[in-house]
Amino acid sequence: MRIEILFPEVANLYGDLMNMDYLRRCLGSVEVIRTSLHSEPAFVSEQVDLIYMGSVTEEGQRLAVEALMPYRDKLVDLIEEGQIFLITGNALEIFGKHISRDDGTELPCLGLFPTVAKHTMMKRYNALYLGKFENSMDIVGFKSQFGHSFGEAEPLFTTFRGCGLNPETPGEGLRRRNFFATYLTGPLLVLNPPFTKYLLRLMGVSEPTLCFEDAAMDLYRDRVREFGDPGTGIEYH
Amino acid sequence: MDKLKFIAAFLLAKLSGPVLKMTGHKGTNFPGKLALRICPDFLRYIRKPRRIIAVTGTNGKTTVSNLLCDILEKNGEKVLSNRYGSNINSGIATVLLSGCNIFGCQKYRLAVLEVDERSTPRIFPHVKPEVLVITNLFRDSIMRNAHPAYIADILTREIPSTTRLILNADDLIACSVAPANARTYFGIAHLESDVTECINLINDMRICPKCHGELRYEYRRYHHIGKAVCDRCGFHSPRYDYFAEDVDFRNMTMRLRDSEKVAEYPLLSDSIFNVYNMVTVIAVLREMGYTHEKIFAAMKKSAIVASRHNEEQVGDVTLVMQMAKEKNALACSRAFDYVSSRSGEKELMLMMNCLGDAKHWSENVSWLYDCDFEFLNKPDIRCIVATGPRAMDYRLRLLLAGVPEEKIICVRDEMEAAESLPFVGGDQVYLFYGTDSFTYAQQVREKLVTLAKEAAK
Repeated sequence: MRIEILFPEVANLYGDLMNMDYLRRCLGSVEVIRTSLHSEPAFVSEQVDLIYMGSVTEEGQRLAVEALMPYRDKLVDLIEEGQIFLITGNALEIFGKHISRDDGTELPCLGLFPTVAKHTMMKRYNALYLGKFENSMDIVGFKSQFGHSFGEAEPLFTTFRGCGLNPETPGEGLRRRNFFATYLTGPLLVLNPPFTKYLLRLMGVSEPTLCFEDAAMDLYRDRVREFGDPGTGIEYH
Repeated sequence: MDKLKFIAAFLLAKLSGPVLKMTGHKGTNFPGKLALRICPDFLRYIRKPRRIIAVTGTNGKTTVSNLLCDILEKNGEKVLSNRYGSNINSGIATVLLSGCNIFGCQKYRLAVLEVDERSTPRIFPHVKPEVLVITNLFRDSIMRNAHPAYIADILTREIPSTTRLILNADDLIACSVAPANARTYFGIAHLESDVTECINLINDMRICPKCHGELRYEYRRYHHIGKAVCDRCGFHSPRYDYFAEDVDFRNMTMRLRDSEKVAEYPLLSDSIFNVYNMVTVIAVLREMGYTHEKIFAAMKKSAIVASRHNEEQVGDVTLVMQMAKEKNALACSRAFDYVSSRSGEKELMLMMNCLGDAKHWSENVSWLYDCDFEFLNKPDIRCIVATGPRAMDYRLRLLLAGVPEEKIICVRDEMEAAESLPFVGGDQVYLFYGTDSFTYAQQVREKLVTLAKEAAK
């Protein structure tokens, strides 16, 4: 089993990298490839079971687009072939058309999805999230971002409480075949054991067991209940 | 019209001061808040001291500002400071107002202002410091501060071009701020305890700011603090203008070297963070023209207020109140590192919950996964009691950090949790609390004192 983490030197914010540490510990035997901005990604010439990229600085978004642009066609092919991707936090935005900021600047992105991200740099959106994956599995998480994405695309989750890809849409994240991208930050896989098991099965693990599964499941159930309680505020202010 | 608004704001805010004092509301920002409500441009019009030294950064700004004020006052300076107020725009408005007489004349020639880095867009357009100290830039609250490069960008946009910067050369993120401004660098030379590879989860300066190649650290203290070089393009950390060397924690001394002299100083604390704070203060004072002799004489009579680490002997144990800011992975990592490196058996209680978030929403726990709980996986840590609304989150994070399950006790109620500590004679008992849980932590401390005394009987 091989996992490729893209650009951990810049895409390492908000505890996101713990997702891959957790997956590694759930898998036991796994090769983790950490691809830096100046090296050719492993997915270009080798088979990997999962490609991951986590939350990133704004400058990091620019550098990541620059680093991935030469492999844009390969990324398109991989997505269509069913390659598994997990993209968390604002790393999602670099796969859209562009990112526009309220200072008037615009960052052209990979354009793999018809979405546009809009940032307001002095106003951060912070919220809890409760949604469903494939209309059956509860998903809990946290959002902390400078803006939202707009445009028609298949979502990853259906929002039950909180904000989707933007405040006007119930769909959260982006999905195409096995390309999974979500604005949720932090330890998504630690917080959502059923989704982690789904991912592991997709990666070929027939009967996945999770690291500290009981403790993780206890917390997951508590959090689903807490976030589903109408008395729990969703957007921090 | 603006001037009229200002005069009304000034007079009403000024009058609110004595009223607040009479009603026992000391140290609030109400006058500044009121002034800014009436006149949003209040900071523009209020008279300011001729010299303003501002101190900002993620950690250490309170300690540096207070120590700087102490030493300046011991040297006969009359200093206007916000040490009893807040460091956001309303706090700055309050302190500047307090320095003015009723006719609006500023009574002070010198101010030392602690400034919240995220609040600079509301302060620096009108309050232009002669000198700005940036202690360091680290990750702080995910929700408010995002990441340190974001804060560095804000500072770069907001710092007046005339302001001279005093920067931590061991922090390349702080060094990246406002590159066109005149600057002076301080730091701490290589220490025996330094490493080259990062052992922390947070490591925010991994690539060269010029060519984006991988940085190599000649020495690293923690996180991104250290001396780095880029083998790809030759970029390197700036040279120190003022630096500590021969830092000796056994004899509690260090030497401070600058272009003119080398001087010996006593260490005011055994934490490296506070050595940085001392070096920062010395660098500022030397830039102001003070001699080492004058700084030394005042510094040896000064103390670093131990509001974040207080020890007391209770019964057969040492009870330690240890501040570890909630939702701040770096502050907690530093506190965990410091405590775990101390010798002796320890019993820990973690209650750095954000009680405000728990009341209205639910705390965003992402920061736990940026924080080095791995430091708590040590044989001499006898047990860890996880408590508060996020007790179960602490438990899972501790398990992932490798702490044996049998060492973790999870009790949601803080008062009840205190009863889970064994209080073994000779142990150090640590209560980790945050700013949000500060008041409640004092009540828990009372309970710990009672329990420790009972255990000693």
